[in-house]
Amino acid sequence: MTTPPTTSEPAKAARRTRPAIDRSQLGLALSAAWVVIALLVPWADLDPAGRRMLAIFGVAVVLWITEAIPLYATAVVIILAEIALVSDEAVWALPAGFDAPAYTTFYAALAHPVLMLFLGGFLLADGAAKFRLDRNLAGLLLAPFGTRPSALIAGLMAITALLSMFMSNTATTASMMAVVLPVVAGLSPDDPLRSSLALSVPVAANIGGLGTPVGTPPNAIALGRLSDDGIGIDFLTWMALAVPLVIIVLAVAWFYLIRAYPARTETVEIRLGGDFDRSRPARVLYLTFALTVVLWLSEPLHGIPSTVVGFVPVVFLLAFGVMNSDDLRQLNWHVLWLVGGGIALGSGVAATGLDRWLVGLIDWSDLPVAALTLVLVVFALVMSTVISNSATANLMIPIGVSLAASDAIAISPVLAAVLIAVACSLAMALPVSTPPNAIAHATGLIETRDLARVGTVVAAVGSALVVFLAPAVWQALGLVP
Amino acid sequence: MVDRVELGVLVVEDEPEVRDAIVRDLAPLGSVLRVESADDVPDAREALEELADDDVVVALVLVDHRLPGTTGVDFLVELDHTPSTRAVRKVLITGQADHQDTIKAVNQARLNHYIAKPWQPDELLAVVRSAVTDFIIATGVDPLPFVAHLDGPRLLEAMTHRGDR
Repeated sequence: MTTPPTTSEPAKAARRTRPAIDRSQLGLALSAAWVVIALLVPWADLDPAGRRMLAIFGVAVVLWITEAIPLYATAVVIILAEIALVSDEAVWALPAGFDAPAYTTFYAALAHPVLMLFLGGFLLADGAAKFRLDRNLAGLLLAPFGTRPSALIAGLMAITALLSMFMSNTATTASMMAVVLPVVAGLSPDDPLRSSLALSVPVAANIGGLGTPVGTPPNAIALGRLSDDGIGIDFLTWMALAVPLVIIVLAVAWFYLIRAYPARTETVEIRLGGDFDRSRPARVLYLTFALTVVLWLSEPLHGIPSTVVGFVPVVFLLAFGVMNSDDLRQLNWHVLWLVGGGIALGSGVAATGLDRWLVGLIDWSDLPVAALTLVLVVFALVMSTVISNSATANLMIPIGVSLAASDAIAISPVLAAVLIAVACSLAMALPVSTPPNAIAHATGLIETRDLARVGTVVAAVGSALVVFLAPAVWQALGLVP
Repeated sequence: MVDRVELGVLVVEDEPEVRDAIVRDLAPLGSVLRVESADDVPDAREALEELADDDVVVALVLVDHRLPGTTGVDFLVELDHTPSTRAVRKVLITGQADHQDTIKAVNQARLNHYIAKPWQPDELLAVVRSAVTDFIIATGVDPLPFVAHLDGPRLLEAMTHRGDR
């Protein structure tokens, strides 16, 4: 047996180093401790159902922050715990007088209409990837931007953002970075254009996800919570709220990138796309995609909710054999369940009155509205910079919406939900903040500090816009009450 | 969360100078791949066991055909017929395999690549990068830690089904 090359030894040693306390053990221990505390402390003004829900909510906080178990596993823990503790099938009887929600309402969260909207979006996006519609469309749209580095980055960001409005931010990033890598390989190693190209894709994908209800899970969580309160927001209204914000933040990020990383080369070319697939299934996909988007955008004309339209591509793509059982199996069901767990958490919190109790812990009346929105946005930003965007939205949106619905404060539930969802998507200062960031960082082309800088610019500009300017504009346009 | 998987490459070559040259040529991948070497087939089997004990997943074996005792091709056939090593990518690096040996390696061991000696270091690296990339995609190992070091575009393509979190 000969010795391995010395280069592998330090790497090996580094990998072997484990933290003193295992994160999953810590998460499980904290969860258990919290259940005991929540159930034993005689919380003032909180009835037994509320206490049980407080235990569940705290466990959700701990597990989603520590990721002691996978995010989607926490979602199903919540559903089972709610059924076992606060539903009409509770294994441990609730006091008479508490109007326990039917256990079926918690299961129903997994098939919430907003998830059906997302299912349609997922199937369309996977179909687009299967027939390379995304890549071909990107090639077609990128051509007019030419070969000047600053124009090319603008084009790359615009197209990445557009794609990520309909596909997952992660898939869009993986797909666009696969195209960017060979281009970067052809640049001189000290050309800052390498970094700006590698940063432009994840930043645009993260921001683009905001643009439509199906862009990224926090949007669905906001819409789901609002619809449970009887507030429907149509596709077009969401886009009217979010797209101008996407454009402004993208423009700022682009300006920052071309200034901070001035290209040394005069021209750069991205080869992308090719002939559009003209096979029958591909054509059915194109038509279904176009029809679905048209129906989503024309809801004010026909009145069919986007959650119903969202099931149309599911039916078409499966019935015409465009997508098959393998494609169905590959869908990101775990993302749907994660959102479903958040919706179940929100309905449990509302049904037990825990939301009102939590909101009542603080006297909000002294706080100006702008200060409150700032607190919501900054809190969501900080949290989702470190933990999953969906988990942040799952935890914050139910409380934020209840806070807004209470008389304590003069902002509308719609505004609270939208602000939190937006803040989740604006958080991108670390490699762990989002999967697109992780992908860009894994290419080795950028350092954590590059992400930190551009992420801070995006977060600062974006949150200033949504806190100080957007609410007034949205209200003036009648987009939010 | 799952700990990141450590991948390994096993080089089986009896001549010390040649073995060292191969290992040296693979040094640029040392930060993402554990490179182990063995001088004959029994030593190689032992190395596989040690790697398994260290939780290293062997992605690729590079073998010379002419070895004392069991031949390189026979070792590849053995690996292909063992469930735990069936997915391992197999590369023959040799100047001495005749027609029959090579046919056996292709048909019975599903040989992935044949490198004729003397090899070019760049060619060897390219073959190893490509073969380990294939292994990652085929077996579902998380491609992320390898994007910067192996075939980045193809590893990214393998992630285009991922959802947001």
